[in-house]
Order: sequence, then C-alpha cells, then structure tokens
Amino acid sequence: MTNKNGLTRVDGRLKVTGAIKYAAEYKFPGLVYGVVVSSTIAKGEITGIDSKAAEKSPGVIAVISHLNAPKIPGYDRKPNDFDPNIKTFNDSKIYFYGQPVALVIADSFERAKHAATLVKVSYQKQQQQTSLTANLQNSYKPWGDGSDYLRGEANAYRNASVKIEAEYHTPIHVHNAMEPFAMTAVWDGDKITVYTKAQAIKSMQQDIMNMFKLPIENVQVYSKVIGGAFGSGSPLWPYAKAALIGAKVINKPLKVVIDREQMFTMVGYRSPAVQKIGMGASADGKLVGITHEATGETSTYQQFGEGITDTTKFLYDCPNVNTQYRLTRLDLSTPTYTRGPGETTGVFALECAVDELAHALNMDPLEFRKKNYADHDPEENKPWSSKYLDECYSLGAEHFGWDRRKQKPASVIENGWLVGYGVGSGAYGAGRANCSARAKLSADGILLIQSSTSDMGPGTATVMVKIASDIIDIPVENIRFELGSSALPAAPGEYGSITTSSVGSAVFDTCTELKEKFKQIAGGTDNPDYLKILKEHNLPFVEVTHHTSGRAPDADKYSAHAYVTHFVEAHVHPATGMVKIKKVVSAVDGGKILNPITARSQIIGGVVWGIGMSLTEEGVLDHRYGKYVNANLGDYHVATHADVPQIEVVFVDKKDPVTNPMGSKGIGEVAIVGFAAAVANAVFNATGIRVRDLPITPDKLI
Amino acid sequence: MEDDKSLLKPQQGLHPEDNSRRNFLKQSTLLTAVALTPVAAVKAAESHMDEKIAEAFEKLPLKMEVNGVAKSLQVEPRATLLDILREQLDLTGTKKGCDHGQCGACTVHVDGHRVNSCLTLGIMVNGKKITTIEGLAKGDDLHPMQEAFLKHDGFQCGYCTPGQIMSAVACIREGHANSEMEIREYMSGNICRCGAYPNIVNAIQEVKEGGIAV
Amino acid sequence: MKQFQYIRPATQQNVLDAITKSGTKIIAGGTNLVDLMKRGVTAPDKLVDINHLPLKGITPTKSGLHIGALALNSVVSENALVLQKHPLLSLALKAGASPQLRNMATVGGNMMQRTRCTYFYDTTMPCNKREPGTGCGAMEGYNRMHAIFGASQQCIAVHPSDMCVGLAALDAVVIIAGKKGERRIPFVDFHRLPEDHPETDNHLAKDELIVGVEIPDNNFAKNSYYLKVRDRQSYAFALVSVAAALDISGGLIKQARLAMGGVAHKPWRLYDAEKSLVGKAPTEENFKVAAQIAMQGAKAYEYNAFKLKLAPASISEALKHAAGVV
Repeated sequence: MTNKNGLTRVDGRLKVTGAIKYAAEYKFPGLVYGVVVSSTIAKGEITGIDSKAAEKSPGVIAVISHLNAPKIPGYDRKPNDFDPNIKTFNDSKIYFYGQPVALVIADSFERAKHAATLVKVSYQKQQQQTSLTANLQNSYKPWGDGSDYLRGEANAYRNASVKIEAEYHTPIHVHNAMEPFAMTAVWDGDKITVYTKAQAIKSMQQDIMNMFKLPIENVQVYSKVIGGAFGSGSPLWPYAKAALIGAKVINKPLKVVIDREQMFTMVGYRSPAVQKIGMGASADGKLVGITHEATGETSTYQQFGEGITDTTKFLYDCPNVNTQYRLTRLDLSTPTYTRGPGETTGVFALECAVDELAHALNMDPLEFRKKNYADHDPEENKPWSSKYLDECYSLGAEHFGWDRRKQKPASVIENGWLVGYGVGSGAYGAGRANCSARAKLSADGILLIQSSTSDMGPGTATVMVKIASDIIDIPVENIRFELGSSALPAAPGEYGSITTSSVGSAVFDTCTELKEKFKQIAGGTDNPDYLKILKEHNLPFVEVTHHTSGRAPDADKYSAHAYVTHFVEAHVHPATGMVKIKKVVSAVDGGKILNPITARSQIIGGVVWGIGMSLTEEGVLDHRYGKYVNANLGDYHVATHADVPQIEVVFVDKKDPVTNPMGSKGIGEVAIVGFAAAVANAVFNATGIRVRDLPITPDKLI
Repeated sequence: MEDDKSLLKPQQGLHPEDNSRRNFLKQSTLLTAVALTPVAAVKAAESHMDEKIAEAFEKLPLKMEVNGVAKSLQVEPRATLLDILREQLDLTGTKKGCDHGQCGACTVHVDGHRVNSCLTLGIMVNGKKITTIEGLAKGDDLHPMQEAFLKHDGFQCGYCTPGQIMSAVACIREGHANSEMEIREYMSGNICRCGAYPNIVNAIQEVKEGGIAV
Repeated sequence: MKQFQYIRPATQQNVLDAITKSGTKIIAGGTNLVDLMKRGVTAPDKLVDINHLPLKGITPTKSGLHIGALALNSVVSENALVLQKHPLLSLALKAGASPQLRNMATVGGNMMQRTRCTYFYDTTMPCNKREPGTGCGAMEGYNRMHAIFGASQQCIAVHPSDMCVGLAALDAVVIIAGKKGERRIPFVDFHRLPEDHPETDNHLAKDELIVGVEIPDNNFAKNSYYLKVRDRQSYAFALVSVAAALDISGGLIKQARLAMGGVAHKPWRLYDAEKSLVGKAPTEENFKVAAQIAMQGAKAYEYNAFKLKLAPASISEALKHAAGVV
C-alpha cells in the first residue's frame, strides 16, 4: 500500500496476522527440543558432569557436553574477530557465567527444560574479575598505536580560558531483542540446513562451513525474518554451535531456543565504558582543544573493540584533539555491536561535555555548536560527501521551539515539575559494501528481486521494492523482494547502517541493467513496455544478476556520514527524582529519504532506545559471582509505552551525491547517537544536576 | 465453574515427585489395572512401553475453543497455554518473548480478556474460549486494528506485534483508550524493543476514534 | 518445571481437605506461582486450582466492603463500590503489574506473592527465604530494591505488592477459612517481618485459605492518594510507594493513614507519622514533619541509601496529593 509517506511494509500483512515464521517456528517430522545448560561459575574448569538423572528423565534423548561431544573438525581453526571462539563442548574451560556447558535434548520443550535442571555440573572455581571500574588499571591498547589519535597539541584544552573536565560512566546495555535467539538445525547426512536469526547470512554460512569443514553447497542458512537483533545477530554464537552439534549427534531435526536470562550472557551486549573528557574554548566560545579518553571491556578469550572516541575526532572544528581508547579484559562473555556501536557510548560523553562547556561559557549550547561547525572533515582533511547538520540544528530548533529555552538551570516549573530542554547531536558513517542481486521479470508480470540480505526490522524488502519501482515502472504490488537465504546472491550483513546503501545500490544497478536489457531486446525505447516485449519476443522471463562494488565512484575523496540532532524536553519531579520525557524532536540528515514511513520508524526506534539508555537500562552484575542480578525483562528496564511520548522526526531529505545512486545515507544506527546526551542535558537544564553516569534513575536526582 | 470430575480420575496413584518412570510403574496401582504379567512387564520396559504408559497417565485431557474451533488435547499440567498453542497447535502467531510475564508478547484473549499465556497453565483454561492473533481477521478481511497497525507502521521486526494487537483490541474493549496517556498506561504490559510505541498509540487512537466495534 | 498433580476440588471444604498434605500449593491467577515454578524456586507436587470457588464477589457489608479472595485485580480496580468508597485501593491496584497480569491476578494471590528479590529468584544464589540457612545474598550484594525497615540479619527482602500497601493503609481485615471455621485478622498483621524465619512470609497456616478481605467504611475517599516511585513510568516494582489517606474536616486532619511499599518485608504502616498529623492542618510543613517521624529506625545498605531520602520525600508528596495541596 502506497500513501503520501511512502510504501507500507510489503511483509506487513504477514506480521499483523501472525503468519510470518520466525526461526523457532518451523515444523519438521520428529522435531525435538534442546535446552542449553549454562555454567554457574564465571571462571574455572568443569570437573564433572552428572547427567544420569537428566538422561533417565521422561522423554530425554541425549545430554551432550564436552564429555561426549564428537570432535568438531573446524575447532582447530584459529579464531578471528567474527568468531567468538567459544568452542562449545570442546573442553572444560569456563570463561564466563552462563557459558553453555551441556545441551539436553528431549521430545518436548517441557521435558527438555525440566531435565536441564537435573544436570549437575561440578567445577573448580577460580576468582573472577567482572568489574570494569575495579580493573581500569589493567587496560591495554587494543589496536596498538592506532588506539590513540592526536591532531595539533595534546591536552591543549588545559590552556584554554574556559574549560571543563568530566568523567562519564555508561553501564552494560543488553540488546534484548524481543525474539529469543533460536536455531532449528536439520542435518541430512553431511548437509545442514538451519533456520535462525542471522543479520549476516553469508558470514553465518561461512562460519558453519568452517566449523564442520563443509563445502558451501552443503550449508543452507535461512533467516527469513528476524525478531529484532540490534547488532547481536551476526556471529555463530555458542548456543548455535551447541544446536548444530546436538542435531548432528542425534540425527534428528532439533530446535534450540535460549531463554531470556541466556539472552544476557550468550549473545553479546554493549560494553560499559569509563570516559574522561577535557574540553576548552576561548571566552567567545571557539573550541581550543578536546581530550577524550575511553576504556571499555572485552572478554579474556576474544577482543572486541569499538570506535568510542571516533566522532570526537571530526564532529567539531577544533585545532587540537587527542583521544585514546583502551580495553580491559574481564571474565565476561565478549561484548558485541549494539545499536550505534561505539558512537552511542562516545557521543554521550562528547555531547554532555559540549553542554557542560557551553554552560561554563554561558552560551546557548546550540549556538556553541554552530560556532564550532566543521565545514570539512578535520580528521581526514577531506570534504564531506554531504553534511546538513546545520539544517538539523535549525529545523529541529524551529520544530521544537528551542527559543523558549532558559539558559539558567532550574528556572522553569510546571505543575510542580522542573522543566528542562536539552540538545544532543550525533553522526554515523555512511558506509557501503559489495553486494549482488538478481532480478527476474516474468511474463506473469511479477518482478522478483533476490539478495541474501536480512531484515531485522527496518523493512529491508520494503525499501528495496521502492527502489526497484523507481526504475522498473510496473505496479509496486507486482514487485517481490526475496531475502533471508544463503542460496541467494551474496549480500553483506545487515549492520552498520549499510543495507539500504549496499543492497539498494545492487538493486538499483540490477534493475537498471534489466531495463537496459529490455531496451536492447526491444531496440532502444526509453520506457519499455516490459510485458509486451516479453510477449512479442516469446520470452518466459528476462533475468539479470549484477554485482555492485561497495566502493562508490570517488568515495575515497570524501568523508561520508549521516547526522542527527535530538531535542528533548524533560520534566523532573524535584521531590522524587522521577523523569518524564515530554517531547522529542529529532532532525535527521540521512541523505535522500527513500521511504519516509519506514525511515521515520527507524528514527523513532533509535529514540526509544535512547530513552532506555538515558533513563532506565543497566545490566547489573554481582561481582562476587560475576553474574547478572537483573537478567530478565522485569528488572532490566527497557522503555515501555508509558515512557515514550510522541516523537517528531524531521528529515532534511537532501540527496548525497557520493554515497550511492539513490543519494541515501543509512540511518538505523545514527538514530540513537546523541540522544542520551540530549536527555542528560535536558535534565541538567531542568534541575541544575549534572548526571554523568547512566542511567538517570530517580535516586540520582534527589 | 463446575468441578470437572474427569480431571481427577487419571491422577490416582501418580507420584510426580519421582522422576524414574520405572519406579513409578512399580508403585503404580495402575499396573494392576492393566494386569501386566511379569514377562509382559519386561517386554514393556524393553520397548519403553513404561514411559509411554507413564506419559499417558501424566497427561490430562484439555478441551478448549481456539479461534472458534473446538480443540481436544492431552497435556501435561505443567504445559503453559503459550507452549500448547505454539508447539502442539502450531499457532505460532502468539510469541514467547520472556516466558515470565514481563513482556506481553504472549498476550491472548481468554473468554475475551487479555492475559499472558506464558503464565497460564493450559489445563486451567479447560472449557474456555481462546482468541489468538490468528483468530482476529475474518478470512481475508483484516481486523481494523491489524489494518491500523499496517497503516501507521506500528511495528518493525514484528515479533511483539501479535501481543500488541491483542492487547490493543482489549484496551479499546475495556474502555481504556480514551486518551494518549491512558492508552500508553494500558499498553505498558507490551514491550516493543524496536520502539514502535508512538505508531502503535496512533493506530489505537484511530481505531478508537473510528468507532467501529472491535 | 517438574511434573505435578493438578486437581480442582469441588468445594471450599474439599480444597481445605486437599491442602493439608505437604508439597501442595493453591493456584489462583498463577502469575507469581507459575513464574516461581518455572524458575525452580518452588516445586510443588500438587496444585490445587481454586478458581471456580465462589469467592469473587465485591459486596457491601454492615460496616464495610467485602472483596472476595478470587476477585481479579482488574475487576476490583474498576469496581464502582471500590471507586466510590476506596479509590486509594483502585489507584494502588492500577499501579501494579500490567493490564494482562491484573486480569489474571486475584486479591488472595496478590497477598501471597513472594518477594522479587533477585537472590530469592535465583536458585544458584544464597537465600535464607528460599533455602533457610544458605545466607542472604542481598545483604552484601546488590540491594538497591531492598528494605530500610524491619529487616533482620537473615533477610532484607521487601514485599512487592502495591495492592497490599493500599489495604494496609485502609485498615482492611483478612478473612481466613480453616478446618475449624473462619478467623479474621487485621491486614497489617497478615504479613510478617523476616526475623529468624524469612521463609515464612505471613501468618496464613498451611491448611488455611484466604477467602476475602473486608475494608471498614471510612471518610478517606475524598482525600487519598497512591504514589509509586519506580525506575520507569509503568510495569516496574516500586523503589518506594506510599498510600496516603486523610480525613479532613474544617481545615484540620481528623484521621490519617499512611503505609509504604518497597521498604519492608511487609506493607509498612507509619503509625507515629499518622498520629502526628491528627489535629493538624494539611500543610506541606506538617507533612514534612510527619515524613521525618516516619523515618525513625530506618537503616540502609550499600545500594539503597537513597531510600532514606526518597521515602520521606515520597510520603510528603503523597500527602500533598491526598490533601489536594499540590
């Protein structure tokens, strides 16, 4: 359905009727159920597993652990960044609390679940370290000298006439997609078919090939729809390895779904961070220097690092910038990409610091940003491919009513609540990767386009149909986009806000080539009548497959980013410290907006994540055990309906001339960047209290 | 509600605290009822008949109406309505998000009232009418709430959507959709991690203001 | 969840007969019990379903309002008599859980719900309430949600209910059926403090059944309020909650009732603070004095010291709302 806001979701009907099938919803004759048993220590060795009671329990088919698992051919491979390198059921070593130690398989879910509680694992426990703040002294340079950056003079802010220094803390954030991770694995001899949630279908196929040393034709990955992932859905996680091994051992179709608690320990999370920022400006508000030091965490068995300090290097025009990034190894599972990975954490600190300095200068924080606007990339010393952040400032301010903001904190009270306005900006790289697509227009009038990309929610198929319909002029309801299978032409993973740009470019090129082909067949007409041509030439279909490079022409000459500016009105109750977000305007430079209705939803989604990040979300560990104490949705508070007001999204909607033929810049990641700072800044404006450790819960404001 | 005597019968002699099926059979008075000779008992054990018999007696009959269709099942008392819908009836539209009543993805209507099916034991809805997301549309005609969710883009990944829609319909029926604030409060039992909340509220408001009976 | 026997005895008497055996649990709404069973915190051999018993009624009595133990939380919160006579109870109910859960949860079940202490829920952690003698995980652990009043060396958990805070403030009486007939106890005496037996939440004997609660008529309907401070706007347990009820006449407070949630092992009545308000004008100054009185004897732990400030602020705020002086 097309309306003034674009195309409604092409798979929407399947979703609102409950008909669409997620990974755990495929039925097979003889399907059995696997439940993963998690470790109950954070560090040490398994000394024994007593599975007798579980094996005797009704309906149990097998209990699999390192004691009886077959040798996995690929476990001799060296790990790489995309393989979390927990070799499930390979040995007795425990790296984190909640690590899979056994898989119980039974003929019903209830029976498997119960039998899993009967598996008794004994351990030799070692003392674990799980606190980032307690282990900061053990940090190291994750990327050697590349961990540090210097432009101009280091720590130049110290000599500025007005300066601030502050330390910011962000906690663990857990993706908590609504759909629990699941893998349904079906072996047929040495061929494996899996149904799972995979943001990166082709790389998961590769991971499975590597694990079992199988050729590509033996591994089929389906991920037709993903019930949310937000960065957690790329690796072949330890639970999935357990499912693959389990299904192989029993030689039956096996379904393994992890539970909500395991969603906290087995599929990644956002690293907590401790950040120090020093920032100085001249008395008239021109930046002199920024120093940004960040430390995050990684596991003992794998390094995961992210660009926490990256945005600091280029967001503002500042002659002296030095940054450093460090990691500390802890006895936790490895963190992973989490919506706006790196930037979300780093820009929270950066944009709070900007607000703190503007306050110290007694300047309007938006004016301060404008005064330090970077009209070219000061880090790479390149022009921007396009940058309309200034329009985000002005459009957003106008829609929000920023001119009503009072510079003096704690000066507005409405109905007993303190009222404050805050702003925060962000950027995220507008990248792109290699992608292939196939397009086939048949005599029945259906245009089928295929690529092995995913859809974890943004509406991949919908925007691809939209892109195709702009090239091939046939009714939009006759255009189908098929994704979610490793057998389709290769696409990059759905991450890093690259999907529309990468897959969209491939769809654009493929459809353009298809159109050309029709023109050739028909002898050069500008607007081919496709069906007529097929009929006249007695063709059942015309098909093209096109590979599109991830390198846009001249891309190297430019620096490409999407931008956002969030405006927030926060109400704070002075007695109880409760915070309500009353109003949000998010102004976005995402290049040309290809499908406003779904694009708007992506921004709203990022804002809702930002509300959770700023006010409620925190993964809490009891360091005595190295274990989460809130690994459930009752105690880990994601935002509810009641926490979220109407959100106004304003798109600059101007084409980027470099990124891709559509002129778009990815917006899924940038949507959250800078939002938590906007809230913290609004809370400061409301109360005069500067909260530098998230989340801003009531106890921090009384 | 009448006491359902049939529920009581099969449980005579059941010792659920004992996990061993073999021990169960030795102790069970049912053994005498089926009058197995020792030889037959050995054979039964070899072919896992004991487990099959045990299984038969661990399950209870459950009759309910799901989306207008009478269902007659045998269920373990510990099986939740959610797992019965998804695994036994293949009605996978009802989602498992947290399995502990903390997310609302499993929301269904029992006798017209929205509940969390993950905390509802299947056996406890014996004799009741269940409506799931699959039962909302009338043939090809979507329910107005489903139409509104489509129009307002009230979802992204779609996983919480069935629960949101079942809850949204109930929210209007209960009379709790009179303002944006009220809708937000009365929809707060349904978590949406993609953050489609404002669109969902808009969808509900439109249906409510449309005045069509839901 | 282990297998269990499920029965649905025909009558209340049959229920009382059935629950005498150890390992037997009553199930009503199941919102807490099924959760606890899934997590292995409790593993009954037999569940006694009582949902069909005729205990759902909400009826006026000679001097009060009777609410059946099986009345659903959602039904009670919207009942016309409740709204008219005891709006505080409606507010408290609506502050709890979610609409779906309130459609399942009963009044009796709400009273019987266990603490939400993470160490209680996690069977790999020490917890004297779940497994006496194993220690208290929260005492030296993450105790942000925990008690500031009435805790013991054994347990610092809090009772999670909102409804119970309202009923405690409203001087409700619990009606309990046992083999020897019915007995009535004040609501405030139903739940207990942990002392040396945190495994026991309340004074209901194993062979007894809650059949209802009765709220005496009062003059609080015009001036009552339930304030719940929590980490998000809805669907979260209280950091602190306050039920405040005032009987104001001629510009003076004739009677006051105050109870708190999220601060103790039971709904916490603030008797001394109530007394301090009698005869006083309903002013913010007087409310603040009462709030300070209420805090006598409070003791905080590593992560919940904020409650020492949040609790009095919330008491004062709830009183302001109740008195209409916001």
